[in-house]
Amino acid sequence: MIGSSYFWFNIFFLSIGTFCIRGFFIFLSSRIKISTKAKEVLSFIPAAILPAMVAPMVFYHQGQVSLLFGKERLLVLILSCVFCYLFKSMLATIIFGLALLYFVSNYV
Amino acid sequence: MFLKGFKAMLPITTGILPFGLVMGTVSYAANLSSVEALGMNFIMFSGSAQLAVIELMLQDTSSIVVIATGLLINLRFMLYSAAFSPYVENSNLWVKIFCAYNLTDQTYSAMKANEDKYKSIPEAVEFYIGSAICMLLAWHGSVIIGFIFGNFLPTSIALDYAIPLSFITLVIPTLKHKNYIYVAILSTVLSIIFKPLPYNLGLLSSALLALMFGAFLNRKSLTESQIKNFMDTDNVRDQNSPELNKEEL
Repeated sequence: MIGSSYFWFNIFFLSIGTFCIRGFFIFLSSRIKISTKAKEVLSFIPAAILPAMVAPMVFYHQGQVSLLFGKERLLVLILSCVFCYLFKSMLATIIFGLALLYFVSNYV
Repeated sequence: MFLKGFKAMLPITTGILPFGLVMGTVSYAANLSSVEALGMNFIMFSGSAQLAVIELMLQDTSSIVVIATGLLINLRFMLYSAAFSPYVENSNLWVKIFCAYNLTDQTYSAMKANEDKYKSIPEAVEFYIGSAICMLLAWHGSVIIGFIFGNFLPTSIALDYAIPLSFITLVIPTLKHKNYIYVAILSTVLSIIFKPLPYNLGLLSSALLALMFGAFLNRKSLTESQIKNFMDTDNVRDQNSPELNKEEL
């Protein structure tokens, strides 16, 4: 359960901050230009953050398939990465991952 | 032009809908009230950061870590902001506000992928506004549906697993060069090692270290290209001269 004032306090600052990030160059474009180098560094952000969000969530999850030491989510995630790389579809990857996890958890 | 932008966005909604459904379902599972869930969604409007901060807030993480983590995730919008700013340089404030608010991974990629469909800057802005409206409808609609109906799904389908799945589908298309893959691998390993850190600092510290590693790798590759530039042109500009690369738009 998330406390209401705690929730809104965080969301308030996150929203202001996010809007400032999005508007930064749009509002200041006449005064500030971003260097190519900074742009290239910013382009690493998804690769730096998203795996750090996913990895602990899946790696430390204790599942129920004893054959895989309870790590069925990890196995399915790796296979889903391959699937996503091959087919490049978000929807298909999510369906594939959920279906495979369902199958592995119930029939292995 | 509005319509063209709207239509260009439609195929991308197949990626937005499951993400929005997950967002709605997670908000419901986190016991958020409908005002909290929809209010957050409306004022913050950034899916991956929202998912991350809900996760952190459920563990009562300190506000500083929650806010820093969310903003770090959204720092990528600065890149889009820089790339987009030349289009609205001469627009009025309201257009700028609308465009800034609606800057997302999806609208930005839709604009970049359809450069051939608009011929002038006003047309490009109209195209963007059309695609942004489509994005707003798809996102908020799917979040509301997820919030209302998420709890009706059978529990045997582990819907929370859609979160890591949707994140990998967001990150894999960005790994265009081996440097990005190294950064992603380092981030994975560090986050697993740093998991026991207090205050949930694991995510923030591994992301920052991986980003610094990316900057370090990039420094090398950039130097090579600069050497090439140096040899190609007589009129060499200072390498740090703040010059927006318009060809990339």
